[in-house]
Amino acid sequence: MTTLATAPAPGFDAPGVDAFDLPPIFGPVTKPVVLLVLSAVIIYVLFRLAVRRPQLVPSKGQFMGEAFHGMVRNTIARDMIGPEFLRFVPFLTALFAFVLVNNLFGIIPLIQFPTFAHPGVPYALAVIVWLVYNTVGIRHHGFFGYLRVSTWPPDVPWWVRIILTPIEFLSNILLRPVTLSLRLFGNMFAGHLLLVLFVLGGDYMLFVADSITLKLLSPFAFGMAIVFTFFEAFVQVVQAYIFVMLTASYIGSAIADDH
Amino acid sequence: MTGSLNVVGYGLSAIGPGIGVGIVFAAFINGVARQPEARGQLQGIAFIGFALSEALAILGLVLAFAI
Amino acid sequence: MELHVAAEELNPLVPHLSEIIVGTIAFVLLLWLLSRSVFPQFERVYAERTDRIEGGLKRAEEAQEQAIALKRQYEEQLAGLRAEAARIRDDARAEGNRIRAELREQAEQEAGRIRQRGEEQLAAQREQTVRSLRSEIGGLSVQLAERIVGTSLADDARRRETVDRFLADLDGIADERDDGHVAARGTSATGAPSGGAS
Repeated sequence: MTTLATAPAPGFDAPGVDAFDLPPIFGPVTKPVVLLVLSAVIIYVLFRLAVRRPQLVPSKGQFMGEAFHGMVRNTIARDMIGPEFLRFVPFLTALFAFVLVNNLFGIIPLIQFPTFAHPGVPYALAVIVWLVYNTVGIRHHGFFGYLRVSTWPPDVPWWVRIILTPIEFLSNILLRPVTLSLRLFGNMFAGHLLLVLFVLGGDYMLFVADSITLKLLSPFAFGMAIVFTFFEAFVQVVQAYIFVMLTASYIGSAIADDH
Repeated sequence: MTGSLNVVGYGLSAIGPGIGVGIVFAAFINGVARQPEARGQLQGIAFIGFALSEALAILGLVLAFAI
Repeated sequence: MELHVAAEELNPLVPHLSEIIVGTIAFVLLLWLLSRSVFPQFERVYAERTDRIEGGLKRAEEAQEQAIALKRQYEEQLAGLRAEAARIRDDARAEGNRIRAELREQAEQEAGRIRQRGEEQLAAQREQTVRSLRSEIGGLSVQLAERIVGTSLADDARRRETVDRFLADLDGIADERDDGHVAARGTSATGAPSGGAS
């Protein structure tokens, strides 16, 4: 007892990237793997329930499914892609649902880990998006036509073109999937780190620290954790939206006839 | 106090893209306020501009962790 | 420093292979299932709803057009009927006037005829009376004369002659009487004895 009382409390060990090193549940299956499967099942079941008995005057579930689908269809796909948007609506809607549910896992109690705070799936999704918009563009313009559309902006003097064309190539062909995936990953990573920091900080202040002042101040840390949970909910929805929005705009610029 | 100097560098490098993103969306809001019917077109351009400037911050993040 | 080394080992940018595989499979499977069984339903419902609304609007428009056409037709009919009614009323008035005029004319004619007949009857009766009076007076005068003269006037020729002469005298007296009241009365008073005397 005396040793415990006299020993100084250890300093606060702020959570770092090791907070994202989750132990495997069995074999190679880790928590994100389970969450990925769970998200796919949740989305599929919800959508099936929404279209169980499709009616002209929708039931509540059907209405919510239609609102979700219609939002992607009318405000993202139609505005960004143009007249041929209908082909891409299923892809964009599934993408939006998948990203959104996996993001929201970050604030759902007991799960509390945004799957995309691990970069693997964002990379995979970005590769899929890259394949989709390049395939669509090449199919629409032909290979060289697509290269010209994406790297050869019209009405530019030649000396600007010397710099501009490599930059356009770099940004349109190479960097787009990288930034797309890393934006999603970075936001989820930082958001989760922020929440972990506040929760662990409050925990340290309340239970570990010697100072009575820190114990009294610990509710503020937990309060901040709650505030940032709401903020994270917002960020997660916005990031899912931006991911799909940018995908749609890449597809739209790939099949646009003028740059 | 321990930590990585890389992350401090990333924080500094994020200032520029932050300003850039702010300018992009300010211009977008101005444009929509002046011509609400052009919203759809402006939205696409705004998100491409946002993605372009955000890309710099993301490159900073990558370099902060990779080097 | 140890922490820093640990962070180097756990580079957060390095993906986990199992996640990539499971995530890709999960997403592709989800996309396939949803676009096979869910999204077509949504699109079908949208199309149906649009069709219902637009069809309803079109039907309503058609009904309105029909109603307008019907209304115009009714109005035309009504205007025609109104004109016809006015025409019939005018006709009836004209007819009435005509009938009234006809009736009046008829009545006048009838009245004229009745009056004429009356006059004729009057004249005929007068003539008859004159004629009967003349023969009576003739007979009476002959009887009177026989009684006065005392001779038989059986001889027809003479009697007719006498009667004729007498009647001629009478006629002359009547003519004189027609000329003036007082004078006629005077002459007749004097004429009658002279006639009787002759």
